[in-house]
Amino acid sequence: MIIKSRLTKIISALVFSLTIWSCSSISVFSPEAYKQAVDLKVESLELMSFATSPYDDNEESVTYLKTELRKAYEFALGRPNNELSTEQWEILINEEGNLLGGFLKRWEAEGTLSEMFVTEMQTLVSDAFDTIIGLESGKIDPSELK
Amino acid sequence: MPTFNEFVSTLKIDLLDFAKENLEEYKDELLKDGTLFIEKTKSDLERWTEGLATGALSTTDFEFLLKGKKDLAQMEALKQLGLSKIRITKITNGIIDVVVGSAVKTFL
Repeated sequence: MIIKSRLTKIISALVFSLTIWSCSSISVFSPEAYKQAVDLKVESLELMSFATSPYDDNEESVTYLKTELRKAYEFALGRPNNELSTEQWEILINEEGNLLGGFLKRWEAEGTLSEMFVTEMQTLVSDAFDTIIGLESGKIDPSELK
Repeated sequence: MPTFNEFVSTLKIDLLDFAKENLEEYKDELLKDGTLFIEKTKSDLERWTEGLATGALSTTDFEFLLKGKKDLAQMEALKQLGLSKIRITKITNGIIDVVVGSAVKTFL
């Protein structure tokens, strides 16, 4: 009887610890974050295709896209246990980096960009968005934890 | 009346089966992703070098793309790290089920 009672306590403690630990390691899936990333991927790649034409003709669209990207970053930053996704957004939109943020900055500085460079950067940026989308879609649905 | 030792033996076998199944699947996924990234990097470099040689890409473009690939690798690593954490969370949840299942099998 004593053994059974002790055993119940051990199992309960183990299950409790594992449950608490497993729930706090990474954020759960967010349909909103997923949609945001997919939409921004499409919009970004579309706008990038205009980078062979003068920046001034597209300035308004670039400003709008930058705002939307910033919103996605802030949304990621505000979610609990979401450091990895936030860091991904940071790398993607960093103007001093060499993905979308750096691309838009270079377009602004140089006016126009070469066709091959634009095409190759679209592939890189597309893959970069896919890492964000891939991580988000891999997250556990909150309903699975119930 | 089953003993605590019997429970531990059952649990060990159940956990081993569980670990084998999950770790093998994870290993395969990691290898697939890693190989795909290396293959893609190789073909990118070939294309970019050719673009540099023909003048379709400037030196600045070439350097920018290389650094971009490095940034992408960082993002990929973050994704893999996140997926590992998710996998661990799923395994942890699975362990909880195994522990409870073993206890039920032994004592009830």
